[in-house]
Amino acid sequence: MRRRFWFLMGLAVLAAAVGAVGALTAPAPAQGPVYSVWLVESSRFMGVPFGAFMPDRAFVPGSDSKTNNINTVDLPVNVGVIKGGKEVILYDSGWKQQDYFKMTGTQHWAALPDQLKLLGINAADVTKIVIGHGHWDHAGQLMDFPNAILYVQREELRGIEWALNYPHPRIAAVNTSPGGCARTPACGYPPKTLDEIYGKVLSGKAVIVDGEMEIGPGLKIHPAFRAHTAGSQLLEAPTTIGKLMFGSDAYSSWEGIRDWMIANPQQTDTVQQFLAYEKCYKVTGGYQNCVAAHEPLSYTDKYPLTKNSWVGPNGSRMAEISLAPGEKSRKP
Amino acid sequence: MVRGKPQALGEGGAGVSALIGEPRRSPNVKIFLFSFVLLSLLGVLTLAAVREVVTSPANSRTAHPTLAPPRPPLTPAEEAYALALWPIHNEVKASALKMTLGGLAYKLGELDRGGLKSKVDASSETYRRAAMRIAALTPPASLAQVHEMYVDAVRLYQRSAAEMVRVGGDGRDEHLVVAQPLSMEASEKLLMVGDVLWPTEYRPN
Repeated sequence: MRRRFWFLMGLAVLAAAVGAVGALTAPAPAQGPVYSVWLVESSRFMGVPFGAFMPDRAFVPGSDSKTNNINTVDLPVNVGVIKGGKEVILYDSGWKQQDYFKMTGTQHWAALPDQLKLLGINAADVTKIVIGHGHWDHAGQLMDFPNAILYVQREELRGIEWALNYPHPRIAAVNTSPGGCARTPACGYPPKTLDEIYGKVLSGKAVIVDGEMEIGPGLKIHPAFRAHTAGSQLLEAPTTIGKLMFGSDAYSSWEGIRDWMIANPQQTDTVQQFLAYEKCYKVTGGYQNCVAAHEPLSYTDKYPLTKNSWVGPNGSRMAEISLAPGEKSRKP
Repeated sequence: MVRGKPQALGEGGAGVSALIGEPRRSPNVKIFLFSFVLLSLLGVLTLAAVREVVTSPANSRTAHPTLAPPRPPLTPAEEAYALALWPIHNEVKASALKMTLGGLAYKLGELDRGGLKSKVDASSETYRRAAMRIAALTPPASLAQVHEMYVDAVRLYQRSAAEMVRVGGDGRDEHLVVAQPLSMEASEKLLMVGDVLWPTEYRPN
């Protein structure tokens, strides 16, 4: 009798342990409305020195360390596509490659409207665009989405203005040496990008955000000022796999978030970037659901959130991250 | 073989017979149940692991695409022109940004008409000086088209500025709406020129 009792106790403990492990490892499904989410690769910067992207990952010739034995990486430019109800929201909008803008070493550019078509979305259906920041490779193609309301932080515009008007030529410089702007405070904002943002404001299709803002049920903008640029912002989105946090270049590298390393320092306060990482941990319960803009492991199983992927137009990649109930898969 | 009659083991190979003959002892239920549960759990774990593995991720390490062939370098004459235009370009670009930011600030209620006019006038002065300096440059024949494009860009910025300052006169925002496409067209031309003369002007950001 006693042996039977202990046997049954053992089974109960085992079952409880398995249940606890399952509960701990799986992110809690979001409460309330959930969204379908895809990630699309606007283009890819090829052969970027790893150390230029992440200083802690600089290549050391002859090194055995996995941290420092990769010379160059290919960096995608990832755009988030979020769909729920009548809303289609883009987080970032990539850039528009024209014949004149074929950046050396850039490949696999595809027009965002063409990529969205493969997800069953027309450009006219996009209702909102949240730009994580205003750099040229994240805030392009705005005019291709005529019905979309643009969300940009006031602090981002102020940051550009401050830099341009600063009474020191090096700080106010939009370029330094011929051929680059070498991360000056005003670097990364070509006039055309700002003109597109301005166009949205003039047509009444822009919201200038001051800090935190809810833009839809469960969709929340979090400020991440100086985590990459003056007015960087994150976007929280609830899904069936838990909350996601989009971070644009504040979250340039997913490995950086996981391993607490800075990435893609531009006009970055690295302390603020780390605090932005912490925000993702706090809101989503870990690092798995942080959506990075330039993670080299994107669209592979080494970045699990993005592993359900396929190849789209011109070799650009797309990933299906989560489907809301009733949404059909777009993976071919 | 005699059923039902117990026989001692070892008697004429009656081991099995003995078992058959004896009433069956109840199977060890505890061991059976435990094994069943354990095997079920292992089965679930295996299934989960298999499902995790069976995906078809787009492999970024598949055949590395061939990069576009490198551009031919600028000739010495072209390089000299690019170097001469660069400081002018810096000023034109900065002024274009300030002019657009002025329009933004006005539209957002952070700048009044007088403030807008000041900003636009300052940019206009830069464009005027830039136009004079560009006119003094002698581009090589191979860059004649590029040169003309830059001249066009500055003219478009000047026209945009002239339209914007009219807001100061009648207060109508429509002038900004007319001015913005001119500025946008000018900005595109700057990018076209930049792609020829300074192709790494914009690095990954």
